[in-house]
Amino acid sequence: MYIRAVDAVRATGLVKRFGTTTAVDGVALSIEFGSVRGLLGPNGAGKTTLLRMLFGLIRPDDGTVELLGRTFDHLGGDALDGVGGFVEEPSFYPYLSGASNLRLMAKLDGWHAGSGEIDDAMGRVGLAERGEDRVSGYSTGMRQRLGLAAALLRRPRLLLLDEPTSGLDPAGTRAVATLVRELAADGVAVLLSSHQIGELEKVCDSYTVLRHGRVVWDGTVDELEAQAPQSAYALSTSDDARALELAARIPAIRIQPAARGGLAVAARQDAMDELVAAFGDAHVLIRRLELVVSPLESMFFALTGEHDAAALDALEPQQLADTILAGA
Amino acid sequence: MTTVARTAPGTSSEPGISQGVRNAYETELYKLMSQLTTRILFLVCAIGPLAFAAILKVQSGTPSDALFGVWVHSSGFAISLVILGFAGSWGFPIVAGVLAGDLFSSEDRHGTWKTILTRSCTREDVFAGKLLAVGTLAVALMVILATMSLVAGIALVGPHALVNLSGVLTSPGRMLALTIVSWLLCILPLLAYTSLAILFSVATRNGILGVLGPLLVALVTQLLDLIGKGVIVHELLIGSAFDGWHGLFTSHPFFGQVLVGSLVSLIWIAACLAASWRIMRRRDFLTGVSGRGPSWTAPIKVVAISIVVVALLALGCGVGPTGVTAYRVAYAMGREFNNVTLLQQQLIGRRVPANARLDIEPNCNRRASKAVGPGDWNCTVYVYLPETNAVPYQLTSVEYDVSVQYNGCYKAQSPPAFLGGPTMLAAGGRNVTNPLFIVYGCFNIL
Repeated sequence: MYIRAVDAVRATGLVKRFGTTTAVDGVALSIEFGSVRGLLGPNGAGKTTLLRMLFGLIRPDDGTVELLGRTFDHLGGDALDGVGGFVEEPSFYPYLSGASNLRLMAKLDGWHAGSGEIDDAMGRVGLAERGEDRVSGYSTGMRQRLGLAAALLRRPRLLLLDEPTSGLDPAGTRAVATLVRELAADGVAVLLSSHQIGELEKVCDSYTVLRHGRVVWDGTVDELEAQAPQSAYALSTSDDARALELAARIPAIRIQPAARGGLAVAARQDAMDELVAAFGDAHVLIRRLELVVSPLESMFFALTGEHDAAALDALEPQQLADTILAGA
Repeated sequence: MTTVARTAPGTSSEPGISQGVRNAYETELYKLMSQLTTRILFLVCAIGPLAFAAILKVQSGTPSDALFGVWVHSSGFAISLVILGFAGSWGFPIVAGVLAGDLFSSEDRHGTWKTILTRSCTREDVFAGKLLAVGTLAVALMVILATMSLVAGIALVGPHALVNLSGVLTSPGRMLALTIVSWLLCILPLLAYTSLAILFSVATRNGILGVLGPLLVALVTQLLDLIGKGVIVHELLIGSAFDGWHGLFTSHPFFGQVLVGSLVSLIWIAACLAASWRIMRRRDFLTGVSGRGPSWTAPIKVVAISIVVVALLALGCGVGPTGVTAYRVAYAMGREFNNVTLLQQQLIGRRVPANARLDIEPNCNRRASKAVGPGDWNCTVYVYLPETNAVPYQLTSVEYDVSVQYNGCYKAQSPPAFLGGPTMLAAGGRNVTNPLFIVYGCFNIL
């Protein structure tokens, strides 16, 4: 049981400049224990630089970082006790086995990891059979799994993960999502940086969106859904013509026949709920209702793309889907 | 259930070294010992001296250009000392480069800085752990090389007395002690080369430059030894610190070069490590294996700076007092000729009274426009032989071609017509090394 009065991460006013470029510009970030925060932003937004500053790999030009209640001196050390994770793809010594790499990591943490501990960590990420193989023979996905194992080995209270599902197959991706939720349920705070918005939606409780090194949005899932522009859906019903008539009666719904059959719908969540209820009342059966563009995706696009939220709300369903998916 | 022993970071049961440093040290030691290059180094240091001694055993030739080289068939200690000479010139720079030249840059190459620096150890811990680990292995390799060279020499040739650098036959016990001390005196210069390799590795982030750097410095040192007559710049080079032991092998030992060499080594160690730590401490760790490749900007800067430094050193080689003068060469040659002549007389069975001295007048001249400095010299040793029945003295002379190094050590060789060939028949019919044919010596240049 962790003391909840202290945030796992509390960063304020972080600034990092490289020459004339300001990679991170006054970023503030906090993560509560037991929560999963998604870190989003287009390429070059400053996500990796921010993570590197949290890990102490680079020095901020300004601002402070507090991890697990400890002020961070930006030179590693015990400020990172209880902090696990990795930045960019995890890297290990290729001439050593996966298990040996983990043993060395544990040694650097100040303890001796027995074979049981190593096997347990390897088993949790699906590498139980390959622990004694040299890392030079590992695929990208296996190195990713080993990175997770190295993070878990520390029994972290704070997990900072940069693209943890990169290189993983769909089953591996699902396993990581499950693992993250399990850790959060145990009280671990998780910061998850990813380009895969769909994956973040499955696990995150809150989001921070970066653009040009600045935080352009920060809030919970509920806040995001309330503020997000309309989402896009693919809809197929037992009577599409009748469905069009019913949808036309709801002002917040935009609907049109889709190019590949069925219907394309653009709406916010509450309007969509109203439409589904109307279908029920009219005995129109829903055969397929697929979220093509999620609230997070449309919000992300509005915050980081060329169209703002109002412009996205004005788009027809097919245009909305095409615009956002083309920009993804 | 596996039991796990956790220790709080930053604490230690031993005073002086923090737990973090010890953790990093053990980690680095494990990593280094897991690498093929380290294992090859250990193999070479363990087997190399045996192979060298075995090859010498089955052939009649000698590495006569090296100090004590002509005596490798006569005394096992000569084998160890010849190996020490080679090690000082080339072996130790190679060991330092291979061990330490990639110590830091390999973390860049593998993208593992972010892996180790995001554990519970500080940059100080990692830096100190790496230094201690590489220092441990460097000294271990030196000890193995020294031990095996002595073992090989004693086993294959024998622990026989050896002619020292003043031409005096020295007992096996004293030779053993001096040889061990000589090897130990090379620890500091070896660590200086190791520190230099670390600096190359940290500054360039390039393993190739890190590994080759010390070797190139050794090469430059050898080239600089050929030019200039001043001692100041020469004595400031790491390579010169390996020459200190020569003074122990003369009949009147001199320790100035040992002290200066040790001090210079300590300065190199401190300067290289301070510069390395400054770079390491201020560094931002930006790229991983997926990031940009290693930058060539830093290596190019280092190469450019190195060229300027070498040029300045070359210009400075003439600065300061002259180490090699005609007087010093002649004095050393005259004294040594006296000793080896008496030794030769003993070897052929003649009685030589204690404290016997020949009446000798050496005259040495440098074979170049400058009358001082290292290079090729010619020495004529005039010997006044007492005649019992005629004029008081009969004058004879012996010509020697003397190759003098900057450090005051020389090899003098006489044409066989004067003093016979490399070997001669001793009393009892044994074929032994002719002590007058090739003469090694050293004088104090400070």
